[in-house]
Amino acid sequence: MTTSNGSETVFQSVAVDNVSMPAAHSPPPHEGFNHEDGTGAGVATPGGATARARLRDAAAAAAALAAGRLSRTMRAGGGSSLPGVLVESLSPGFIARRAARLADGVVAVSGTNGKTTTASMIRVILRQEGLSTVGNESGANLKRGIATALVDARSNATVGVFEVDEAALVSLMPALRPRLVVLTNMFRDQLDRFGEVERVAELLRGACERLPDDGYVIANVDDPLLWHTVEGFRRIGFGVRRPSVSPTSGAGSPGIDPGAEPTPCPRCGAPLNYEERTIGHLGVVRCTRCSMRSATPDYEARVLIRDGLRSIVLDVAGVPLTLSTGGLHNAYNAAAAIAAAGVLGISPTRSVTALESFRPRFGRAEELQANGRPVWLALMKNPAAAAALIPEIAEDPRVGAVVVSVNDLVADGRDISWIWDVDFERLATAGVPLIPSGTRAPDVAVRLKYAGADPLPASRAPADAIRAATDACPPGKQAVVMATYTAMLDIRRAFLGDRAVRLLDVRS
Amino acid sequence: MTGIGPGMGGPDLIIAHLYPDLLRTYGDRGNLITLVRRAEWRGFSVRVVGVTRDERIPARANLVLIGGGSDRLQAIVGPDLVARRPELEELTAHDAVIFGICGGYQLLGDFYVAADGRSMPGLGMLDITTGPGKGRIIGRVRAQATLYGDTFECVGFENHGGRTLLRTSSATPLASVPHGQGNNGADGTEGAVQGNVVGTYLHGPVLPATPAFADALLRRALAPRTKGAPLEPLNDRLEEEAHALARTLRR
Repeated sequence: MTTSNGSETVFQSVAVDNVSMPAAHSPPPHEGFNHEDGTGAGVATPGGATARARLRDAAAAAAALAAGRLSRTMRAGGGSSLPGVLVESLSPGFIARRAARLADGVVAVSGTNGKTTTASMIRVILRQEGLSTVGNESGANLKRGIATALVDARSNATVGVFEVDEAALVSLMPALRPRLVVLTNMFRDQLDRFGEVERVAELLRGACERLPDDGYVIANVDDPLLWHTVEGFRRIGFGVRRPSVSPTSGAGSPGIDPGAEPTPCPRCGAPLNYEERTIGHLGVVRCTRCSMRSATPDYEARVLIRDGLRSIVLDVAGVPLTLSTGGLHNAYNAAAAIAAAGVLGISPTRSVTALESFRPRFGRAEELQANGRPVWLALMKNPAAAAALIPEIAEDPRVGAVVVSVNDLVADGRDISWIWDVDFERLATAGVPLIPSGTRAPDVAVRLKYAGADPLPASRAPADAIRAATDACPPGKQAVVMATYTAMLDIRRAFLGDRAVRLLDVRS
Repeated sequence: MTGIGPGMGGPDLIIAHLYPDLLRTYGDRGNLITLVRRAEWRGFSVRVVGVTRDERIPARANLVLIGGGSDRLQAIVGPDLVARRPELEELTAHDAVIFGICGGYQLLGDFYVAADGRSMPGLGMLDITTGPGKGRIIGRVRAQATLYGDTFECVGFENHGGRTLLRTSSATPLASVPHGQGNNGADGTEGAVQGNVVGTYLHGPVLPATPAFADALLRRALAPRTKGAPLEPLNDRLEEEAHALARTLRR
């Protein structure tokens, strides 16, 4: 197990909550297995077959890369995943064989929200340790997106960090054989695709059952249903604490985020009391009937200072961390990444140093220039994401106008009912101009009207909406765009042109 | 029991929102917001009371709203809700309207058989029964509705595993579904109405983009105060735009 420069070992033995990791010199999880059959079942095959498979993989990868470049050049779209589609059909089992070559193993990140940012943070930490990483950085998180990332991988890559769609994770476990599965949270998202949140829990549990014996689940202890879902596995918990907040409790209490998940006790069904609430149903709970209560996180991020979407200052294991991307959701993302790194033997101090340089990407609260003005672009893919964003936006005096852009394509969720679970009432009280946008702009306009706002005329096209926002924005202030997944892609395309093309077709 | 809005002096409209902590699938709260605003914009004072397990529904409630939830959540609220039949019958005897969406609609019926085969009794206030079916019914819906003498087109989104049948002629379909699956995907009906009890599968939520539906419910619930007089028209330009857009969308 070596770093990319071949000198020093990184994944050292650590003890976390009485669970010890394999010693530094123990073999990496994949060593000693042969994945030639593409299932990771470990059936030995003759060396000749291995060599042939490698040659076939190399040829298939070259062909797939060329096709991807051609597709991008011709602006046919789909450049992000096309090579992955091709390579798996030209050379079945490609993912399993290429993943098995990653000497330091694979980390899989799944859950509803925060996958892209958490995976990105883990890569930043690992790179600082001198490791060469491979990952689906554009967020294409189905099988073909992961295959594409492996096609694109540098030949010296030793560790894979992949975000994986919740439904795709089970079927990808045998091929990826991750040593760590990081589960961020479970919120309602794409109910038209999953049916019910409980279905997502079943899918994630099924994935954990396929972890290797020395594998770990890193999960959010503040998510009662998720933590309950991973009970019985080797689990490491992370959480976020905000000491200044007064506790809320009781089912009908006013002030509860209206988008919060219904949270009966996952063990007995009785109501839960919240000692502390962070985002939606995330928080510290105690059952009103049985002995169920939130676990103490192994890795805890304490919030010290919040500064809107711009930054947040945390205390992680006694080490202060200033993140250049704000919001409680990013406190969770950082805690998850630091926990994953910790299990891999990297101390929180070193992880914090790496994350100080972390910059948001791909619409996760990034700053763009539009019409000569700075514009914040924030991904609002479901009520939980909106719940994290709205307090930061509503309380930030630098915000001068807000575009709310909602699309209803498959990747966004075709049912947009969830916009009524978002606390737009709070955004309305900020008193800044609001511009409805996206394929369902008229529905957004109705939502904002019923929230007590007087929205500006709806602009379905993103460029028009952002023009309206920068026009309405007072001098010295900046516009914010809250956008669903494909709405965010539309906006990036409108402003970044070809540079956004790699983000196409992230989900089918 | 937690009140929002003016507490003293007898509000014109008291809305009881049942199990706001549990039955809150995707946007059901939008129906509540729509009913509240459309009453307030006409000058009526409104009080909303959230009622969860072991809490009493206000005796003077005019409108009871029951949302939807997963099988797990419905199993949790089921026993508490079924025990409320005397409470709810007392309310309808005083002209209160009961409006159930999806899971709330199913629980207003005689019984409900979940996907895992477990049967749970319902309130028996709508002559409907619900059983499991093959696959979920998911997609956009347009439905032609008749409610309390008003006819209107509903637009919404259906997402349910149960198949509902109207058992007697006491319950009449709320709507026909030329575009969608409705109660069971077989007989072209959607929702049910029986006196002051109204149920539908439509999320969306259905009321914001179908203001005529909201107003039909409001007029009925406000009848003790208004003697059933027509409600003052509102400027529904934005709502009509959203409705018109929904009509153009593929299922």
